[in-house]
Amino acid sequence: MPIEIAMLFAWMLLIVFLALVACMFEDLESDVGSQSNPNSQVQLAPQVGQVHRFFNKAISGEAPAYALYCTVAGVIAWVLLSKGAHPIIAIPIGAVVGEAVHLIFSVTAHVGRTTAQKRFEQPIYLDVLYGHIMPIATHGFMATLCITAIAYIQSNLGTLSGNPGLDHPFALPMLAFIWGITVGAIGSSTGDIHYGTEREFQDRPFGEGKRVVYHGKITRYADCGVRTQKDIAAFCAKFGGPCTGLTFGVIILFENWRTLVGMQVARYLPNLEAAAGDSAAVIGIVVGLVIGVVMIVGNLVLVRWARKRYGTFVGE
Amino acid sequence: MDPILILVCVILGGVLASLGVHLLPVGGAPAAMGTATGVATGTVMLMFGAAMCGLFTASSVATFSDNILLVSLSGSVGSWLMMGVTMLVANVIYVFGTGIVPVSGRVDVDPITKEPQKAYKTPQCDGHGVPNVSYISGMVGALLGGFGGAIMYFGLLNYAHFEETMAGIAAMGIFVANAIIAAYNIGGTIEGFQDPKFKRLPKALVSCGVISLLCGVLVVLVVNLGGLTG
Repeated sequence: MPIEIAMLFAWMLLIVFLALVACMFEDLESDVGSQSNPNSQVQLAPQVGQVHRFFNKAISGEAPAYALYCTVAGVIAWVLLSKGAHPIIAIPIGAVVGEAVHLIFSVTAHVGRTTAQKRFEQPIYLDVLYGHIMPIATHGFMATLCITAIAYIQSNLGTLSGNPGLDHPFALPMLAFIWGITVGAIGSSTGDIHYGTEREFQDRPFGEGKRVVYHGKITRYADCGVRTQKDIAAFCAKFGGPCTGLTFGVIILFENWRTLVGMQVARYLPNLEAAAGDSAAVIGIVVGLVIGVVMIVGNLVLVRWARKRYGTFVGE
Repeated sequence: MDPILILVCVILGGVLASLGVHLLPVGGAPAAMGTATGVATGTVMLMFGAAMCGLFTASSVATFSDNILLVSLSGSVGSWLMMGVTMLVANVIYVFGTGIVPVSGRVDVDPITKEPQKAYKTPQCDGHGVPNVSYISGMVGALLGGFGGAIMYFGLLNYAHFEETMAGIAAMGIFVANAIIAAYNIGGTIEGFQDPKFKRLPKALVSCGVISLLCGVLVVLVVNLGGLTG
């Protein structure tokens, strides 16, 4: 195998690893800040008499929020790169600026939302505000940094692997936007379940959907006293976060791998034979469809296993 | 520039985006508490995330293939993979993280596998998890939505001759407009084609057709004014 092709696959695997890290930290950041869907319970709690010490940061859905941070980071990095800065410097600086925007939104969202709940006697705990800023910033920084790095690698993939014709046609900020949207959508779709269904209602029966009558009555006390959002991150890091990271990593793996395999099998690589382009696309499509069918079967098996293992509902 | 081809691509893309959104199992905030069936996020966000994955692959494929069907199918398979992995891992978390059996809240028997649903459902919940019928509906929806996004991108790139990134941004914008119209029609949550809300589809298709037509006319105007050539 020519070294250019080996390098392409190597860069692809690095992107997959970065995606895994990015989405895991994105999900944990949304748990620390209580963003996205389970935030509805944090918001509802004071209204049903449950004053709490949770961080209440519902800036927007995770997908548009991360699209914003990652695009800001991508634009700054892109400008610095165009001025001749080294990527090792440009990408982290971009991520820091993206996180600065994130923190401004976090603080104003938390203070604004909590202030609006004064009529329900929900105070603004300053130690909660100060104590959660750093975990939000650090987790968010990791996610934004990894996404910006992915965007940089993809927009220069060909150049980095020795064949500039394989650079992605989209500019770096556009790729940062795309993966920002996607990482937010995935973090919101998968990781939130572990936080919303399990951790927010840990004093409720395990193994059943959370009934409407429980809504707003979140678990406010932990083993060692009053619960804040920081120990929620420690809990979700054991299952929900890694699962979410795995989701994004596997998606990026399948997306890039099937395209590269198509190119390789159709002999489009290494000389970018234009005549083999259509065959490469067809092979990529077929490989993707086969993977999708395997996942449908996997879901059938999983649901069947759960039905057999857990049985019918036996509670009241 | 061929205005008819641009309009066809944009309208077809918009209508398919709307159809795709209606087929996705979206549970919104209640699904994050295991109180509703579907994926625990917003309709637009989920479809947009899936379409972005498709757009990424479609734009890569468009660099080495100028076949509209292959580029569009590449985009649709990108969305299909994104939805497939997301729904599967969501179910893994439901089953192993929260001990919940995925069931539909809208039908008593799964129309595809014929498995009974009601006996497994928690009272006072509108279903939970992603049952098989919703999973398959979501996969089909992702295929259609991804195809719509990618065909719009192809039309803007090759018929309107926009620069690649500009074509991507314009396709995204039109796609989101259609997805939001469809999300309004759904009203927050839907389980898939078996949900009674799916019967509202014709109204959304007409609305999205009109919106896409307006967007297509705007694209033709922009092309006549010089285009987005970067």
